[in-house]
Amino acid sequence: MAVSDYIPVIGLEIHSELLTNSKVFCTCSAEFGGEKNTRCCPVCSGLPGTLPVINRRAVEFAIKAGYALGCGINKFSVWDRKNYFYPDLPKAYQISELNLPICLAGEVPIEYEENGEKKSKVIRINHIHLEEDAGKLVHDDLNGVSLCDYNRCGVPLVEIVTEPDMRSPEEARVLVETIALLLQYAGVSDCKMEEGSIRADVNISLMRKGDTKFGTRAEIKNVNSLKSIYRTIEYEIKRQAQILDRGGEIVQETRRFDANKGETKSMRSKEDAHDYKYFPDPDIKQVNLRDEDLERLRAELPEMPRERTAKYIGFGIPEKEAKIIVSDKVISDFFEDALKTYDNPKSLVNFINGEILRRINLGEIDKTAPRYSPAEVAKLVQMSDTEKVSKNDAKEIFREMAEKGGDPEEIAKARGMLIVTDTGKVLEVIDQVIASNEKAVGQYVGGDVKVFGFLMGQCSKALRGAATPKVIKEELEKKLKSLCD
Amino acid sequence: MELEMVKYLSKLAKLSYTDEELEQAVKDMTSIIEIMDTIKDIDVTYDPYKDNHNVYLEDLREDVAQPSLPTDKLLQNAVNQDNCFVVPKVVE
Amino acid sequence: MTEKTVKQLRELLDRKEISAPELTKEYLKRIETVDKSLESFITVTADKALAAAEKAQERINRGETAPLTGIPLAIKDNICTEGVKTTCASRMLENFVPPYNATVMEKLDAQDAVMLGKTSLDEFAMGGSTQTSAFAKTRNPYDISRVPGGSSGGSAAAVGGDLCAASLGSDTGGSIRQPASFCGVTGIKPTYGRVSRYGLVAFASSFDQIGPIARSAEDCGIILNAISGSDPHDGTSSRNAVPDFNEKIGKGMKGVKIAVVKEFFAEGVDDEVRNSVMAAIDTYKAMGAEIVEASMPSLKYAIAAYYLIASAEASSNLSRYDGIKYGHRSDIVGSYNDLIIASRSEGFGDEVKRRILLGNYALSSGYYDAYYGKAMGLRQKIREEYADIFTKCDLIITPTAPTVAYGVNENIDDPKKMYQADFCTVTVNIASLPAISTPCGYDSKGMPIGMSIVGRMWDEASLIAAADAFEKQFSRIPAKL
Repeated sequence: MAVSDYIPVIGLEIHSELLTNSKVFCTCSAEFGGEKNTRCCPVCSGLPGTLPVINRRAVEFAIKAGYALGCGINKFSVWDRKNYFYPDLPKAYQISELNLPICLAGEVPIEYEENGEKKSKVIRINHIHLEEDAGKLVHDDLNGVSLCDYNRCGVPLVEIVTEPDMRSPEEARVLVETIALLLQYAGVSDCKMEEGSIRADVNISLMRKGDTKFGTRAEIKNVNSLKSIYRTIEYEIKRQAQILDRGGEIVQETRRFDANKGETKSMRSKEDAHDYKYFPDPDIKQVNLRDEDLERLRAELPEMPRERTAKYIGFGIPEKEAKIIVSDKVISDFFEDALKTYDNPKSLVNFINGEILRRINLGEIDKTAPRYSPAEVAKLVQMSDTEKVSKNDAKEIFREMAEKGGDPEEIAKARGMLIVTDTGKVLEVIDQVIASNEKAVGQYVGGDVKVFGFLMGQCSKALRGAATPKVIKEELEKKLKSLCD
Repeated sequence: MELEMVKYLSKLAKLSYTDEELEQAVKDMTSIIEIMDTIKDIDVTYDPYKDNHNVYLEDLREDVAQPSLPTDKLLQNAVNQDNCFVVPKVVE
Repeated sequence: MTEKTVKQLRELLDRKEISAPELTKEYLKRIETVDKSLESFITVTADKALAAAEKAQERINRGETAPLTGIPLAIKDNICTEGVKTTCASRMLENFVPPYNATVMEKLDAQDAVMLGKTSLDEFAMGGSTQTSAFAKTRNPYDISRVPGGSSGGSAAAVGGDLCAASLGSDTGGSIRQPASFCGVTGIKPTYGRVSRYGLVAFASSFDQIGPIARSAEDCGIILNAISGSDPHDGTSSRNAVPDFNEKIGKGMKGVKIAVVKEFFAEGVDDEVRNSVMAAIDTYKAMGAEIVEASMPSLKYAIAAYYLIASAEASSNLSRYDGIKYGHRSDIVGSYNDLIIASRSEGFGDEVKRRILLGNYALSSGYYDAYYGKAMGLRQKIREEYADIFTKCDLIITPTAPTVAYGVNENIDDPKKMYQADFCTVTVNIASLPAISTPCGYDSKGMPIGMSIVGRMWDEASLIAAADAFEKQFSRIPAKL
């Protein structure tokens, strides 16, 4: 049987770190990185006698994440302990939520292309809960030990649990991308895959076409890039199809994706007893949410991608271009700021999607810490539009802004790119050119208008930076016409 | 309580027993479970909503980061290397 | 000198009749002579105590005295003390030195109280005899062939034997009240949430409370005044205003309604204990209190509910002891799994292991609803029954323990018998209520008998006032050690 005879059934558990200042149950900094074990205290390192004290903003961010993903909110939320032993979990339990999670069911629409065809679908969210992250292990092969760094222990996470609604690797990839964008817009997570601030567990099973019952699933833990999510699913579809083709059975188990080999493999030894023994954490009082709290949090949500896209299309920006801008919150925010200086959306979008994104994609610019401000770029685009600099020079000026920073007008001046229209000078130069090119002028007057280009060139050369081509052309035409009369 | 159950629980709890200890543990646990089983007579269920301590958002801790513990103090009771806690190499 | 109350010592110190260092030395001397046989301390911190006493004296000299300035106290060894070993009487934490202080220690330090040392307990506070301590199997100051009770046996014996002015204990199912009763002293378990648990090594998080053990109810109030209050490090600590716990002392018992809940006096309670507690109730009646009868039908399930919930929580709380971050680390060579299994198996004693197994059982899938879930339901039912009783009365009086202190070799090998002996105390923890145990008599062999006075949540002041009123009618017979 071919792989295409099976329908993959995919559900995701997406973990995303929340952008709080402090950790979820203690006051250590929740920032990414830091020297090993320098962002730890008795609480997050699980010292005897310590107690978790829940961070208000973490709860608020989880609620906002819920709203961003169209979820209902539980007005009475209970934290539970999930008990298991692992060296990255110093308390030997993770504080999580089982029965009364903070966010209830929701829906996330996704759009993608398949064989050049536009598709859209709605993926259901089962719930979202707030929990704590675990630490990091570094393996020292030489000494045969693993080193535990607890800096990440206790960083707040939301776990977004989807229904098994996806049917292809692409749908799964696009969902994660879409959710990451929504969380970024909601301002609750930066969703940096490379820093592990968003990761997914992938649940996947296969069923034969025509079947209605799902097959046995495997869970692939901790897949940490969009590409890996796609490849994991691709690999699992093949692996499970092969087993089913042989008449074998899929083992319900936890697997790990090896990005180097592009394979998944079984993770935990079978002899180990597994039971998380969830129970309500007696150290944390249940949290009640009032309608007014929820209304306030919902009102605090900024403009979301869908609203922004619609707004941009309303500006007259083509849908495709609008979506490019919106698909990156940093860029979209930049655009919004630039508009405050120069209210010409079309022109700004052209410059951003053309010049700025090109250089970002080339790796020339760190978009999160550019040397230029939105106002400076807006000014540059405006200068180009009003022909204070030429289109080509505008690109050159931007290159310098990106490399060294600086005001576009100052750069243009310093590099002699600024066009100052001095009509007196223009007329003076035209008179000189006409005087010293009698032959050509004669030809023009005689009806050979082709020589206009030559004369124009002579004027432009002498007027570089002092006038726009448009002005030179107008004045020259006027002068020559007067000679014809 | 059955021997198998005690063995299973000890696995969950990360405890090991010699055969002799295991035999004693089965005896002790059987006797203890007898007391626990008295609750089988009564029909009650837990209602999480009754355990409401009226905690609201404003009662929760404000999100302000404070200095952490110096690393040497964090590690003072542990076998450590390179400012980290050390365990035998974990293979997933 | 060492037999005086905190209140008396305060006056002597403030009148400069004795200096804080002199007082501390008196206690250290007594510890040195008596504690070899009593074994109430695991660690004596003589140097730190003297340094603290010097500092306290400077404060007294400045006239900035707080109620506990210069008062020598003993601290149960499951309360974290920065720089001083905190063992929980377990091999597991034999060399554990906390890098931080419990909130109660910070509060005592703020008053310049003097810590004499760390007292013994049942391993991880699990037990009622202090005989499961890995380091100091404390004896009873009234008869050193008997147990001091537990788990705060060291703290109670140190007070009963005049080895400290007062002490801190912790109470999860009776661990302050029962040893106070066995050692002829007064101990109060505050309302859950009254005293911060931050730095108290957790046994059962939803029951644990720190509280004082002292030679009088008023002393208990003085210490409770010092250690109570909301704590940003403990989300379960209450923000309720903290009153002066001694404010109701001397207001009399007239019109106070005291309930006698018949189930607490039923089978299993020794006659001498029952008679002594009933006589105390008569004393209250004579003082003008009104006695009412009440019933708690669910008491017969309380032991099971308590042990299931406490062990479930303990099994999770004690999972962090793996020998990696702190505590006993086995010498075994092997995998991570081998290492933590060996460390835990070597580090924990038998009773702790039994509770861990029971807790795992109560929480494991397939058994959760029948055990843990049901126990949590019973907890709510017991709370409701208490609420109902308190519509008819202000206080409830019960025996603290069904017997007086027993011999060191009795009971402790029979977990079932040991657990059942807690039926008088556990419901108070189940319902988060405050209760005080205070001596109300002596049996024919001269062993102390204690009664417990239980009150409404947050009403410790009424318990202290009632215990104080009885104390004034009662002649306490000190231990002769």
